[in-house]
Amino acid sequence: MSDHNAEFKIFQGGPLKVTGNFQIVDTRGKEIEIKGPVYLCRCGGSGNKPFCDGTHRTRKFSG
Amino acid sequence: MLKNLAIFFMNDPRNRQYTNGEITVFWKPAKCIHATTCFRELLEVFNPGRRPWVNMEGAPTRRIIEVVNKCPTQALTWKYNSELSQDEQASSRHEPVVKDEETPKTLAVSEEKFIPVRIQIMKNGPIVVEGEFRIIGPEDNELKTMRMTSFCRCGNSGSMPFCDGTHRKVDFKDQ
Repeated sequence: MSDHNAEFKIFQGGPLKVTGNFQIVDTRGKEIEIKGPVYLCRCGGSGNKPFCDGTHRTRKFSG
Repeated sequence: MLKNLAIFFMNDPRNRQYTNGEITVFWKPAKCIHATTCFRELLEVFNPGRRPWVNMEGAPTRRIIEVVNKCPTQALTWKYNSELSQDEQASSRHEPVVKDEETPKTLAVSEEKFIPVRIQIMKNGPIVVEGEFRIIGPEDNELKTMRMTSFCRCGNSGSMPFCDGTHRKVDFKDQ
């Protein structure tokens, strides 16, 4: 457990980095065990959703 | 079938309506997908942390109509009071029931600090976040401190980084 509230950092054209104190639940409502920061896919193209796998670069995602 | 569904939405006891005398806004929680467009655009009127969560005095009628029209699911709709049916008029005269009102997140906002933030990955949809959290922009600038939002996951939102419901139009799929 981290001692500070969750922070969401937006990477331009890239993922969403989450740090701090959080829990994450998958599409089936099951909690995902996570240690440390996570990078969540924002471009829609990751092969490892909900996590980023670097695909945003090949898709030239700009959001 | 469609007719039955319409009746279900119409008769849902959680439905609420709010008026400023000129228009009435209808709230159907069963239809809400937490795109959070309403309170990101107009917190003065739509504030899930308040009861009742809709304050019709918070903005001019024109602005309320503009934001209600952006609701991607029609969980929020509106009518001119002069166009209300008799049943709707009867409900509009009543004060909103506050104690069991359901807000977009059915929330009981806690004042405690360091509540673990809950991140939910919606199937074929956004990242819905609840709790106390900060959003940091690409330049390390703090954008917002929020209690609830949904981030776009499909890559196509028109209001990045937030969800605007576009995932349904582009048929975004997890797999």
